[in-house]
Amino acid sequence: MTSLELRHVNKNYGAYHALRGIDLSVEQGEFIVMVGPSGCGKSTLLKSIAGLETISSGQIMINGRDVSTAEPGDRGIAMVFQSYALYPHMTVAENMGFGLRMAKRPKAEIDAAVARAAKILRITDQLDKRPKQLSGGQRQRVAIGRAITRSPEVFLFDEPLSNLDAALRTQMRVELSGLHAELGATMVYVTHDQVEAMTMASRIVVLNRGIIEQVGSPLELYRNPDNLFVAGFLGAPRMNFFPVTVDQVSGNSVTVSAPGLAPIVVDLAAGASVQKGTTLTLGIRPENIAISDTASAGAAISGHVRLVEHLGRETILYVDAGELQCVSSESGTGHITVQIGHVTGVAADAPISLRIDPREVYLFSANDERTITVRKPILDK
Amino acid sequence: MYPRPIPEDAIWHRRFYFTAVLAILILWLCPLFAVILTSFRSTQDVMGGNLWGWPTQFGLIDNYTSVFTQTPMARYFLNSLMITIPSVIGVLIMSTLAGFVLARYRFRGNMLVFALFVGGNFLPYQIMMIPVRDLMVRIGLYDTPAALIIFHIAFQTGFATLFMRNFIAALPDELFQAARAEGASPFQTLVHVVIPLVRPALAALAILIFTFVWNDYFWAVVLTISDTVKPVTAGLANLRGEWVSAWNLISAGTIVVAVPPVVMFFLMQRHFIAGLTMGAVKG
Repeated sequence: MTSLELRHVNKNYGAYHALRGIDLSVEQGEFIVMVGPSGCGKSTLLKSIAGLETISSGQIMINGRDVSTAEPGDRGIAMVFQSYALYPHMTVAENMGFGLRMAKRPKAEIDAAVARAAKILRITDQLDKRPKQLSGGQRQRVAIGRAITRSPEVFLFDEPLSNLDAALRTQMRVELSGLHAELGATMVYVTHDQVEAMTMASRIVVLNRGIIEQVGSPLELYRNPDNLFVAGFLGAPRMNFFPVTVDQVSGNSVTVSAPGLAPIVVDLAAGASVQKGTTLTLGIRPENIAISDTASAGAAISGHVRLVEHLGRETILYVDAGELQCVSSESGTGHITVQIGHVTGVAADAPISLRIDPREVYLFSANDERTITVRKPILDK
Repeated sequence: MYPRPIPEDAIWHRRFYFTAVLAILILWLCPLFAVILTSFRSTQDVMGGNLWGWPTQFGLIDNYTSVFTQTPMARYFLNSLMITIPSVIGVLIMSTLAGFVLARYRFRGNMLVFALFVGGNFLPYQIMMIPVRDLMVRIGLYDTPAALIIFHIAFQTGFATLFMRNFIAALPDELFQAARAEGASPFQTLVHVVIPLVRPALAALAILIFTFVWNDYFWAVVLTISDTVKPVTAGLANLRGEWVSAWNLISAGTIVVAVPPVVMFFLMQRHFIAGLTMGAVKG
């Protein structure tokens, strides 16, 4: 059953077009995570669904009901804010029961709803405290509890974990996933944190400059990004991009190369056509570049290590490949980012040869930046 | 930003500082002491010109009872309360309502309305003397408590709205969004969220407005004439006789008049809770 449906939603702030024809259909019980760079419109979209922003055109349907012009309180939504937005003069219980109290529900019903939510979130012993007596994590639990007591049809989360420290964020992430499983409710979650998006989402919506770039399961988006933006946005460290030239087209595969990059043969998606001599953008994730033992055998790139980052479990190398410069690279210097899954003795300034796994190469057309390579399997081959 | 403390070992520096503070304090409080002492004096003392020295004879109880028995001070006092309390309540209600709307709602002319409220404060109120008196005469309120109440509410609301608007505008946006998302009507938001959070501002404003209105002399003289309406400030001036002034009684009256604003301050003090919005957002 469709729980939330956006039909061609537009939002203008004067001349600024913040949301451009957003279409999205969310099934009952889905956990939708909206990600995108700052100013991409993800918070605006969430607030539009909540009714805190009015949309300029389009329709918002919740459980088949058109709520485009309804007051936020009448939409069947509950929202959790980044800053918690707890009422400081009320106790935890009063905060959680606020919505029902405003709706003038009987006290017994409010108490029962608060007790139930408190039990789910394990804050029953905090009910008489005030927000300022609570830690950040507890405050966010209260804010979530306040949403639960209203038993909304759709939960809206606006970067709820951004104010927590790293350890707590991980813990709350797991708890929120558990909560979603327990309540089985539809949730829409806005974040700029990729890890949250990858770990929690049933589907990720990638937004950029007011449009939806791609919607899909986390692994689908990671493995098969529709375009260069999604490919670059998901994944940390970022995918490496180089401009390459098409040397040869044979059937459904092409051979591409660039100064400093040995020719690579890549399979194209069905229907994709490229001309010999055109320029494309090649993308390769840092984890799909390996160190080559010998400078000759299959080495695609040779260069010098400029910086080594030891993360313990893995090592990140930034390689200066001379003529072969990355565009919009992780480090911003044009160096190639390489992620090695173990500790390596490679030192800065050492010469290095790199090997690229051709099955993991993405090609993007130069004009519309769409992916033209063949789909990659999501599960291990 | 904190002032640097004067080091313990800079003895002369410290002594100079202490002496200066003491001198300023004495100078500042001197008239008040003189009035207090005079309110204790007997009439003979006052007639004998002993206005600054220690009283030769204490007439404390005599003086303070005479203020209420021999003069209409009790009546003036009551009049003042009847004018001041409704004025303060009226100003608080009007300015909270206006401040809430101006701080939280975007509408055409918002800034213009706000500018009018602010701009009104810059007008010297004396220029309104004749028009306001004429207006009150025409609508039949001249020489009634209502004349003063209406004028004070209208005049003080300008400043009070500026005060409340800025205070409400400083509350975190998310609280209002949260209240709205939870279905609270604007009025419910005002009552359940805004007012509890601006309590310190309301308390401060109540003291300010109470003091302004209670101490007002100008409008009391302009808008009232009979003893049954006159507030204490105008009444106090009435105590001065044409030939002889009982300065000890006037002093006692003055002290009595000064008490309510002080009481008001202590009543409102418990509402000054620092950091009331702490824990609302982040923290």
